[in-house]
Amino acid sequence: MINRYKWWELVIIYTGMALFLAFILAPFAEAFMVSLRPLEKVFRVPYRFLTEDMTIRPYIDMWTSVPGLWRYILNSFFISCAVTVLALLCIIPAAYSFARFEYRFRNGILTAFLAVNMVGAAVLIIPLYKLMLSLGLLNTYWAMIIPGAAFSVPTGIFLMRSYFLRIPRELEDAAYVDGASRLYTLRRVILPVALPGIMVVTIATFIAAYAQQFLFALTFNSVTEYHPLPVGLYQFFGRERVLWNELMAASLVGILPVLFVYVFLQKYIVAGLTAGAVKE
Amino acid sequence: MTGGPMGHLKLTAVTKSFGTAQVIKPTDLEIEDGAFTVFVGPSGCGKSTMLRMIAGLEEITSGTIEIDGKVVNDLAPVKRGISMVFQSYALYPHMSVFENIAFPLRVARLDQARVDALVAKAAAVLKLEDRLHHRPGELSGGQRQRVAIGRAIVREPSVFLFDEPLSNLDAALRAEMRVELSRLHKRLGNTMIYVTHDQVEAMTMADKIVVLRDGMVEQVGTPLELYHRPANRFVAGFIGNPNMNFLDVTCRAVAEGAVRIALPDGAEAEIPVAGAGVAAGDALTLGIRPDDLTIGGSAGAQLTIVPEVVERLGNQTVIYTATENGTPVCVVGGGFEDVRPGQPCAAGFDPGDAHLFRPDGAALGRTIDLGRLAELA
Ligand SMILES: Nc1ncnc2c1ncn2[C@@H]1O[C@H](COP(=O)(O)OP(=O)(O)OP(=O)(O)O)[C@@H](O)[C@H]1O
Ligand SMILES: [Mg+2]
Repeated sequence: MINRYKWWELVIIYTGMALFLAFILAPFAEAFMVSLRPLEKVFRVPYRFLTEDMTIRPYIDMWTSVPGLWRYILNSFFISCAVTVLALLCIIPAAYSFARFEYRFRNGILTAFLAVNMVGAAVLIIPLYKLMLSLGLLNTYWAMIIPGAAFSVPTGIFLMRSYFLRIPRELEDAAYVDGASRLYTLRRVILPVALPGIMVVTIATFIAAYAQQFLFALTFNSVTEYHPLPVGLYQFFGRERVLWNELMAASLVGILPVLFVYVFLQKYIVAGLTAGAVKE
Repeated sequence: MTGGPMGHLKLTAVTKSFGTAQVIKPTDLEIEDGAFTVFVGPSGCGKSTMLRMIAGLEEITSGTIEIDGKVVNDLAPVKRGISMVFQSYALYPHMSVFENIAFPLRVARLDQARVDALVAKAAAVLKLEDRLHHRPGELSGGQRQRVAIGRAIVREPSVFLFDEPLSNLDAALRAEMRVELSRLHKRLGNTMIYVTHDQVEAMTMADKIVVLRDGMVEQVGTPLELYHRPANRFVAGFIGNPNMNFLDVTCRAVAEGAVRIALPDGAEAEIPVAGAGVAAGDALTLGIRPDDLTIGGSAGAQLTIVPEVVERLGNQTVIYTATENGTPVCVVGGGFEDVRPGQPCAAGFDPGDAHLFRPDGAALGRTIDLGRLAELA
């Protein structure tokens, strides 16, 4: 390709990217630095980025200061996985139906789904509480999983639908002519072809579930053992002091599952999986 | 292949509407088993829709479709014994060529040994043996086309439907695939219905051509019937390349087996067609094919034309001209035609080669001897 940018344009572009990345990554860098400092040196004045007294002690001590920490991390991971699985079970058939079938109110229903998303969970938290109460789900894992899944479904449907729309209809016609049923076609043809899309939706749902569980956990659950990490982290807030360094260490360790899931699934997001399906 | 009648297709008063738009007008059509039938027509005339209705992918609004004497209106495609090759190839991108071809067999739950045998047979017919473990994405256009055909022939259907299968291939590959398809038809002997808007494909491959326009069958016949005895002006203009020339003429007299007409420039000619329903003074349309006009003019009728663009193709010359009143006329002559743009010349034609059309477009019956042509087949 011909290099279309002048040198000064490249400078602007890269400066922009650097600023943007710095803005996003600075909190992580600072969290990491704090997690390596002794507690009394966290608020040192004047500020110094690198110091000699850095230690990995917080990463060891955090497990004893908050004995349930590993449990919270596991809870978080478990809740997010459950939310993702449950959400995908709803998203895939719903998105397929929105993409392929003609029925009354189809667009209306789709819009309604998105409208729910716009209102958001925070606004609906009181009615949801009543709902959970009457269903007897308060203080169970379900109280965090079900609302979590429900609120990731609309975005998921929207993402997944656009993937299904990109799959040529003739692929299904061909399978139908060859005698395959709808379900067989969905399983053997549509889902494999839509795999990259499914992976994107899985990752997006998992990350969203990881991030949004705080609200539901805080409101619908008071059983300590069921708490996910974001709520569990509160235990680093002592009566007199906050263990900032261990809090940061625990937060960073808590991010690892997301990173792990991302790295694991990302290899399935390969472009051009439909290559050769139809005439270009 | 089993013996006996297979793939006899009959459409009775079939229509199709999408909402309020009737895209297929009531259609009767009969296709004998083993025939290679081609549907042609301009874009949007309903060829694909017709094919999809025969396939069972599109419900018919009214009428009946019979295959081998059995009404199949409500049967799924497999139950009809048809298979289809799509306008795009519609291959499964995540499966190997083997699995693509084996797909209908897998659906039917055949055991592995049968699948291996049948796929091997289809692959041999289509020369795909050494591509079986590739993905469609790694194949050339022609190979993908053959995989799509392989998937269609593997379960040995009685009727084969093709929707413009060659439309995206380059000219050389098209010619090659055309021959291969004709060969395949000879070999398998089953009914094939083939949609195209390529004239050459229609003329060369078809036993029978069905010309469609706006959801209506304009004419059904062998390629040469359509060429020499088009039923109306539309078919005449559609079949043959370059297209037939049309000139406005006036009827002077009607005699037994001939109609006397006045050409635009006043000259008269006697065209040997049946003059039923025509009277002196009627406005008619004269149709004359570009190859039937000779520059310089010899026997028969004469036109005066002014060449505008001259295309020399070596063996022949395509001359785009206009008459004095501006009607475009195309002439195909020999390689050494002495014409220059802007210099008027005469073009003559044998009245026996001309066609005449009534104002409503219907052709006046020609007396050409089709028996002679049938002997050539
Ligand atoms: N699903 C549909 N809904 C509404 N109208 C349709 C639908 N499918 C086809 N049509 C209409 O039916 C008519 C015939 O379409 P069809 O696809 O059969 O044309 P075609 O002859 O195959 O054209 P082409 O040569 O371009 O493929 C067109 O006017 C089209 O707009
Ligand atoms: Mg079509």
